[in-house]
Amino acid sequence: MKISVNTEIALTYLTSRKKQTVVASMGVMFGISMFIFMQSLMKGTNDYFEKMSFTNTPHIRLYSENKVADAHMLTSFLTDNSTKILTNPKQLKQTQGLSNPYGIINQILKNAQVDAVTPQVTANVIYTSGSVQLTGNVAGVNINEEDKMFDVQGNMVKGNLHDLKRVNNSILIGKGLADKLSLHVGDNITVRSGVGSPVVLRVIGIFATTVKQIDETKSYVNIIQAQNLMGKDRSYVTDIKINLKNYNNAPQVARELETISGYKAEDWVQANEQLKAAFKIRAIILNSVIGVLLLVAGFGIYNILNMTIYEKIKEIAILKAQGFSGPAVTSIFLQQAIYIGLMGGLVGIMVGFGITYMVSRIYIGAGTLKYLPMSFYIPHYIEAITFGVLTTIAAGFFPARKASKVDPVNIIRG
Amino acid sequence: MADSALKAINITKFFHDPVDMPVLKNINLDVHKGEFVSIVGKSGCGKSTLLYVLSTMDTDYQGSLEINGVLATGKSLNDLARIRNASIGFVFQFHYLLPDFTCLKNVMIPGLRLGKYSNKEVEARAYEKLKMFGVEDQALKNANKLSGGQQQRVAIARALINDPTIIMGDEPTGNLDSKNTEIVFDLFQKLSKEFGQTIVTVTHDEDFAQRSDRIIEMADGEILMHHHKNK
Repeated sequence: MKISVNTEIALTYLTSRKKQTVVASMGVMFGISMFIFMQSLMKGTNDYFEKMSFTNTPHIRLYSENKVADAHMLTSFLTDNSTKILTNPKQLKQTQGLSNPYGIINQILKNAQVDAVTPQVTANVIYTSGSVQLTGNVAGVNINEEDKMFDVQGNMVKGNLHDLKRVNNSILIGKGLADKLSLHVGDNITVRSGVGSPVVLRVIGIFATTVKQIDETKSYVNIIQAQNLMGKDRSYVTDIKINLKNYNNAPQVARELETISGYKAEDWVQANEQLKAAFKIRAIILNSVIGVLLLVAGFGIYNILNMTIYEKIKEIAILKAQGFSGPAVTSIFLQQAIYIGLMGGLVGIMVGFGITYMVSRIYIGAGTLKYLPMSFYIPHYIEAITFGVLTTIAAGFFPARKASKVDPVNIIRG
Repeated sequence: MADSALKAINITKFFHDPVDMPVLKNINLDVHKGEFVSIVGKSGCGKSTLLYVLSTMDTDYQGSLEINGVLATGKSLNDLARIRNASIGFVFQFHYLLPDFTCLKNVMIPGLRLGKYSNKEVEARAYEKLKMFGVEDQALKNANKLSGGQQQRVAIARALINDPTIIMGDEPTGNLDSKNTEIVFDLFQKLSKEFGQTIVTVTHDEDFAQRSDRIIEMADGEILMHHHKNK
């Protein structure tokens, strides 16, 4: 390969000022490695929180919402032409939950985007143990399906969750609830819903999520148990929980399901708006920090190239006297900037990976979060080197242009 | 009459700072191919200024300039750079070698820039030029490691790498002792006599000037007279 003379001069200048070159590329290296580290941390954290939110929230939840009473019954009863107005309309309680829930589930399963579906009976209950009463809610679930969708097993502290199916009158309670009522595996707990009579259940397991409020209120029972608790038949289902193959499609699929079923379909974005807001804020903080880092690195390169040009102004004049045109001189100095950028970028990628890896091994031990969540995501590395080189080109452009405008006569004659 | 290498027609130049002041007044000059011309005169008479105008580096003048029969006045800076690269070699009072490069590379750079020959050929030619000046054994040393006389000889070798038709010197021997001056003068003479290269130098050295083909004497921005040496 024939190296152009401009490249050769640029490389010689870089290698004859090794210290300066190293310092300049170190600036870029720091920028790039921090870029990668922070991007990895942010994506890792966001992914973690997203995943966390899916341990409690399905991608889509289908449920029957209470409706405000309207006049349509009145209209069909009084068939005259008068206009009927309900004053002070009230919420109508939908006592029957979803009608034909298993029909709806079969419909939902026909959607190609759907990964898993499970019915649930939710009931607000009062837990009693001894003389202490606590309010909370019971989720009546098919525990195998629930575990597949929400990894209940991962949250288990004591007991075996599969006993929920095997043992009659069994219940799985949160750790907070167990502590407050001083319950252990094998103890009994009385559960009473708003309707129906109290039921004594046996604690077969204790789980702990990272959310204290859930741990203090939630419990799982078999779906049949929950239907009994509510005094309902086997077709009584309050929620249908749906997971998709790609959760980013949830809002759109939710709208489709609403149309099919006629019930309210809430997607995880609506259910976790505060999460999305936090993602956005983190992205802004992160991008401004990275911006500043790259700016500083850019100024470093700008300064060093400017100094080089002052130092070499006579040499530039001589090159021009020997027939190097303005663009050729620009190319010599811009190439130096690009090589500094590439060098710093490549080392920065490696250092960034190293830092990311090391930090991902730091033990945190907060709740179920044992290690800092870091993501190793290839596009971050590509972005990093692109930004790095673009910054150096921008920083090198002005000094290079200045060099190209050196007037050889003025410089040589002094 | 031989072909003209350099032709200046009515060249006038002003310095604008601090006030407009003429430094060159209606200079008309014709240098033939193969001629060895010395420009002499007192400091400030405009002889160096004239040289830089003739060299195409200074474009701030009135009048017109032809190089090898081609009009140089009004050309773009990039075109002028190409003309300098191909047809003009420079030797300055100070050597102005690039200190980060070896002597060989210093000589090669204008040749590589021209791109007429392959890298290998340019290298061979550079060795040949260094040999002409007896500094081929210094070829691989960095330029700043040489003595003053050696550096100036390398600088002249560099000026010759593209076989320019015109060689310009701004007091090329100003920093040299008499022995080195002698070497340089002999070479210049050889170049003009044997290779037909045109040489224009500005000099204070009376001996050097006396031995050239023509002496142009300048004063106050004008050419006083041409002394042609009898052949």
